[in-house]
Amino acid sequence: MPPSIGSGTDSPVVHFRPRRKRAPRELTRLTLNLAPMVDVVFLLLIFFIATTTFKRAEGILPAQFPRQGSAASEVALPITPIVVRVVQTGPGPTDYSINVENFVDQPTTFIELSAFLKQVRENPGFDDETPVVIRTAPDVAWDHVVGCWNAAVRAACKHVSFGLD
Amino acid sequence: MASNTKYHPRQSLTFNMAPMIDVVFLLIIFFVLVSTFASAERIPLELPDPDHSQALNTKLTDRVIINVRLIDPDAPETSPVAYSIGPTRPEPLAEIAERLMLHKRAVPRLKVVVRADRRVRYGDVREVMQIVAENGIEMMNIVAHVGDAGGE
Repeated sequence: MPPSIGSGTDSPVVHFRPRRKRAPRELTRLTLNLAPMVDVVFLLLIFFIATTTFKRAEGILPAQFPRQGSAASEVALPITPIVVRVVQTGPGPTDYSINVENFVDQPTTFIELSAFLKQVRENPGFDDETPVVIRTAPDVAWDHVVGCWNAAVRAACKHVSFGLD
Repeated sequence: MASNTKYHPRQSLTFNMAPMIDVVFLLIIFFVLVSTFASAERIPLELPDPDHSQALNTKLTDRVIINVRLIDPDAPETSPVAYSIGPTRPEPLAEIAERLMLHKRAVPRLKVVVRADRRVRYGDVREVMQIVAENGIEMMNIVAHVGDAGGE
């Protein structure tokens, strides 16, 4: 008969305990908590709605000044510039009159001025290189001066400059 | 005895957030795409708005923005004007000319952008042009609203 464990005097005593059964774990569902994300998204949305102001884009009309101290032009022949005068006739945005020097027919609006300048450049003695000088009095609204400049740029005039009456 | 009432399984009432999140994300993406944060250099002004504007929405490098605005916008006929470089406080033209000279020394190919209120007098802007020309700056750009066709 084999010696049983723990029955001898010199053998160690081993107490066998059956493993305790763990209490069954509760099944936890893995869910995505959307609340913080929705918080942040709403915060961003409110920020953009509150700070956005829709405004019209602004752009630039390039202008170039004559180089100071540069050598005289190599063009020997004198070039007669097209001189455009804008006169303020009232405080409103359309209260102005246009006068192109030495021409009988005169444009009345800046849209007409653009077509007029295109037409003038086709006449003998004028071309794309003919300078256009916008000469106005100091009390004319800047809006009209820019309108005139824009008309000259629209007519593809290469040399447009400002003058003072 | 069999009952006539049918058995309805209990349905949980849930809030379907998916469409709402779709719409909210759509709005956010829209705002993120269309928003261009206003530059502090571009102070609010009533800019010129010419017919068939040829103004181009281009980004210039090495440029200085000079703002010309009315001090009293409610009385444009009589209001004096204020000049400032970018977002700084208004300065006399002599100081602006001095700063422009320093800028020009640092950046020889300096460009000047003149943002003037449409109601200021030409004579007031002309003074800016003069100091720009005196500093040997050849490129000056005038700010206006871009046309409906984006510069046509």
